[in-house]
Amino acid sequence: MTQIERQQAIKARLAAFGGGHAARPRHTTCIAGVAAQKARTIGVGLAVFFVAMSINLVGVQAADEEATPADNPFAKAIETAQHRTVRIYGAGIGREHGYATGILVSADGLILTADGIYLAGRRLNVMLPDGRLYPATLVRRAPQIQTALIKIDAKTPTHFTLPQKPVGEAGDWVVAVSNAFKVADRGEPLSVNLGVISQRDALDTKRRMTEMQVKSDVIIIDAITANPGAPGGAVVTADGRLAGMIGKLIQSGDTNTWLNYAVPSDVLHRFVAGKPLTDDANDGGPKVVTPVGKPYVGIRLFTLSGKRAPAYVDRVLPGSPAAEAGLRKDDLILAIGDDRVPNIRAAEGALATLKPGEETTFTVKRRSTILPIRITPTAVKSND
Amino acid sequence: MTDHMQHHSGRVPLAACPPVPLRDVENTGGRAASGTRRTLCRAKVWHSVFVTALVVLVTLAPSRSAQAVDTGYLLAPKAFRAAADKVRPSLVTIETFGGIAKAGGKAAKKGRTPVRGISKPGEGPTTGLILSADGHIVTSTYNFITKPPIITVVLHDGSRHVAKLLGQDETRGLAILKIDTSASEGGDAPTLQPVKFAPPRDVVVGQWVVSVGVGYGGDRPAISAGIISAKNRIFGKAIQTDANTSPANYGGPLIDLDGRVIGVIAPLSPRSTGAGAGVEWYDSGIGFAVPLHGQSSLIERLVKGEVIKPGRMGVQPKRQTKPLPFGGVEIGKVMPNSPASKAGLKAGDIIYDVNGIRIEGTTDLRNVLGRYIAGDTVRVAVQRGGKLIEVDLTLSPGSDRPARPTPRPKPKVTPKKPEPKKE
Repeated sequence: MTQIERQQAIKARLAAFGGGHAARPRHTTCIAGVAAQKARTIGVGLAVFFVAMSINLVGVQAADEEATPADNPFAKAIETAQHRTVRIYGAGIGREHGYATGILVSADGLILTADGIYLAGRRLNVMLPDGRLYPATLVRRAPQIQTALIKIDAKTPTHFTLPQKPVGEAGDWVVAVSNAFKVADRGEPLSVNLGVISQRDALDTKRRMTEMQVKSDVIIIDAITANPGAPGGAVVTADGRLAGMIGKLIQSGDTNTWLNYAVPSDVLHRFVAGKPLTDDANDGGPKVVTPVGKPYVGIRLFTLSGKRAPAYVDRVLPGSPAAEAGLRKDDLILAIGDDRVPNIRAAEGALATLKPGEETTFTVKRRSTILPIRITPTAVKSND
Repeated sequence: MTDHMQHHSGRVPLAACPPVPLRDVENTGGRAASGTRRTLCRAKVWHSVFVTALVVLVTLAPSRSAQAVDTGYLLAPKAFRAAADKVRPSLVTIETFGGIAKAGGKAAKKGRTPVRGISKPGEGPTTGLILSADGHIVTSTYNFITKPPIITVVLHDGSRHVAKLLGQDETRGLAILKIDTSASEGGDAPTLQPVKFAPPRDVVVGQWVVSVGVGYGGDRPAISAGIISAKNRIFGKAIQTDANTSPANYGGPLIDLDGRVIGVIAPLSPRSTGAGAGVEWYDSGIGFAVPLHGQSSLIERLVKGEVIKPGRMGVQPKRQTKPLPFGGVEIGKVMPNSPASKAGLKAGDIIYDVNGIRIEGTTDLRNVLGRYIAGDTVRVAVQRGGKLIEVDLTLSPGSDRPARPTPRPKPKVTPKKPEPKKE
């Protein structure tokens, strides 16, 4: 059973709720429905259910009225998101799903979505919140954030305005609105998941066996969004501001788990505005590598136990930068610069990316003490 | 109001709060609110906010209820952050180096998925908690499935220390590490702030909890909010929560809104004690945390380096088509050299009672044994040929397999072509 299938089994039945204000359910069901979107249904479901119960206890007259946004702390956010989120249908291949979600970001039909196989086919359709279907064309992609901008030929006056500054901080409620598993039929509002922002940070991630990095900060959320069809969905704070867009399905390289994350809305703003994605200009496009020669540190690692063994120093070449800095045989390299080095494979990778002439701190374990050793690699000799 | 009720009402998740106390909290750090209501709750900001909110919600204001709900629910993130900040100094990052062993033993050799639900355990940094000022750290055994030879610990202040793996409790999925707190070369001895555990009586099903972990890296830990789903899970050894738990926070704390540790997050399964069992439930709304309040004798054993294993009797129950008339479990097979065979139990004996606990079926037997560990002695009452016999047997670590009925003899069928293996 794959991770996705597992999540499907758990969540398919939860995702069936529309949860939208548009459906105009009575307020108790409305609130409970929203909360039930969360994979951990019982939790917030119960909490919100109790809130709803107490409203009924103290305000009987409310029971016969239509729900008002104030009854449900997330009604505004959900309505905002559902009116600005679209369904995307394209071609799927094998286990790659041919559908996704997108968010409207301009009045003339610009839509942001996660990059995926559905963008590759000849046929790409967008269904607006009101059910109208339009063919779409790809405008451009940003591989660094696995995001694409597409366009439909229609007026879309109701859209998100992308913020220039980050929205939301760790612990804040967010609702994630998406067409996960394609459960919402035409005319039905998109599904809603409730969660909090876990963390905002840059991530090293991988997809399948190929290393792939999302080269910007991402927002990790604790609503379960790593499901087919959800990428491209809107992640909105309780006051209805766009915090981010659910990212392409990826697995964490550190933990081998599927990540529930969103590309932050301020990064999306930079992408749509055509600016570099981060303040560091180098991250905006392909990195320019200045050919200054291979780095020379002057160590041999103990490779007899294989590439997954710890990176013990087997030999320090006399007169080398490592020897001058005081590195010794049998030292264990724990980190090179900011890169943790769990094994020889990682050490070799980190050593290869050092820059000649740039001092780098090697964190080294020598018996039971941990030492920082500053090594300035030189450029490798031409005959090596 | 009793102490218990205070805690209960202080953490009722409906957390509705009118705008007035919200301003109090923001402007005065909560002193105004808590000061006036000290009889109702301890001087804890969030208690007072919640209790005030509850009182207002119930007694006044049908007209304002909607607004109150709105504000109260939206206030919760501040409490999540405040709680996580409190526990942060006691959080450590655990790094492992090397390590090639695979979980699952034989299964891994046969090329099956070594850890259920996950292709392989990660190599990334994981989370631990400071237990004592002299350098003991508790974390999840999941973090050491690959048997890494080198373990280091990064403290809150950024200092890195070499750690030694001491004991492990396989029944709880916990491991204890020790770091050397004597000053490392050129540095001062680090100050270690041990975690505070919440007493079990303060833990209420339905209360807010926050899970915290460092598995995603970065400067700040990742948090996930949820509630306590159940107490007394995994044979009374764990608390169940719907806050997200995954390899990103195994070994980290599940905390209440006061920042006290309710339990150490670990993957657990009621059906298996194998390494990594339960990880298939990651991020699913079913997570476990092991409470350690009042478990000082357990911690001492682990600090001494003991490896605590689940206890086995060494019997296979006979598969029954219907329950026995007077309950009990009929032994189908006694494993050779097992505690059961040493105690003289035989196939055909019917187990009625273990340590005074009535056994109605195989589930009862498994649940009762789940409360004991290898080395414990239990008194087993069996019926043999109309006589009731009592024997004492000392549970052994035994095999990793849970007690299962012996399979029925296979019906004779014409051999089929083997189906193509599904990946």
